[in-house]
Amino acid sequence: MEQNQMKANAVSMMTAVNFSEMKISRNPAETLVAFSIGSGIGVTVFDPVSSVGGLFNFMLPDSTQATGVNPEKVPLMFADTGVPFFVQALFEQGIQLDRMKVVIAGGAHIMDQTGLFNIGEKNYGALKNGLANYDVTIHHEDIGGTNSRKLSLEIGSGSSCIKIFGQAEVKV
Amino acid sequence: MTDLKDIVEQIDQLEPIPPIAAQILALTEDPDSSLAEISDLILNDPALTANLLKTCNSAFFSFPRQVESVRDAISLMGLDQIVEIVLFNGLSAGFKKEMVGYGLGERELWRHAVSSAHVAGILADRFGASQNKHLIYTAALVKDIGKLILGRFVAFSYEQINILVQSQGQSFNDAEHEIIGMNHEELGALVGKKWNFSDKMIYIIRHHHLSDESARQDLETALVYLADIICMMMGICTGADGLSYRFYGDVLNQMNMSEHDLQGIIAEAGKNQQQVEMLLNL
Repeated sequence: MEQNQMKANAVSMMTAVNFSEMKISRNPAETLVAFSIGSGIGVTVFDPVSSVGGLFNFMLPDSTQATGVNPEKVPLMFADTGVPFFVQALFEQGIQLDRMKVVIAGGAHIMDQTGLFNIGEKNYGALKNGLANYDVTIHHEDIGGTNSRKLSLEIGSGSSCIKIFGQAEVKV
Repeated sequence: MTDLKDIVEQIDQLEPIPPIAAQILALTEDPDSSLAEISDLILNDPALTANLLKTCNSAFFSFPRQVESVRDAISLMGLDQIVEIVLFNGLSAGFKKEMVGYGLGERELWRHAVSSAHVAGILADRFGASQNKHLIYTAALVKDIGKLILGRFVAFSYEQINILVQSQGQSFNDAEHEIIGMNHEELGALVGKKWNFSDKMIYIIRHHHLSDESARQDLETALVYLADIICMMMGICTGADGLSYRFYGDVLNQMNMSEHDLQGIIAEAGKNQQQVEMLLNL
């Protein structure tokens, strides 16, 4: 992560977005990247009119389930607290709901990790619920399976890229 | 299939763990060992002493005064932290290399190793026997040592391995075994043997993905396994193998670990990740 980040910073204005973080940018030369997403989910949002985009990378579905962590300090760790936080920050940058292009990737699981312990699936459910509160449509999703994913957003073009090791990059 | 002899011969090419780190490792696994024994060991190694004092006086720890002796260091930082630093010094060089076959850049396997050791420490406190905390922590740190060698063979056979994983639903370690003839657990156990790791440590390395049913009954192995899959779920430097390992819900049930506990541990580990990142730069 860190090495990637340094290399990236040197050549092309890539900004890493680690888990429990979000970044919002209007710099057309910048690309926001979540390098390694497991059961968590990365969400990219782009508004072509204001040319503002953001990436939000969360890990868990439900802040009320996490003991030992104060969700007010790390709202972006969870879908339920992170989505409103992210959306609010996007509004402040002039993004409008009806123009938002949303791409999500992640929610993977360990093989046979079904039922209660499938946190990837729960993350997906919690994210959809969270976005539904704002009536947001997801334009493209790549969810589940047992691969980790890299998700990036080029602010210049508004394109999101999803990459799984050994597979071709998907650009949307 | 690759000639296994070619793979095993590579063990001698690995830069071995310094004898002092191996000795300290052995002492920390022994519940009867004392603080004095460990500090004596460190004192007898001038290079290690110098390195330790340098680390203790680094900005990361920012103690209010200069740390001037090993005993000083141990009393200020605690034995756990000292052992950690010694192990890190001994192991990090190999783990920091880029591992093309596993799709890991420089330092990524090291980040995964240190992060899983950290999670293993949390799990050991909560679900393990406390006298085995060092063993569990260290086993989580070294469990993927076989990858240091197997990486280049995986690179060669990645397409075939990936077909078994993606279309037949095999776990990555089973597919490694089928295509290469040996997986990173088996090879890691051979490395551990060569380096005189304890039998228990070798056992954990050999079974940390729990393919073997009896290993699922072994608490220490199960905790190292859980630490590993939690880091995969968190996406901490998951490479070509991603999350393609088997999940055994029974192992969690046996420990009375609920879904709520699992989420809590992920949250706690996530909160601490910044601290872990600092450790990586020691």
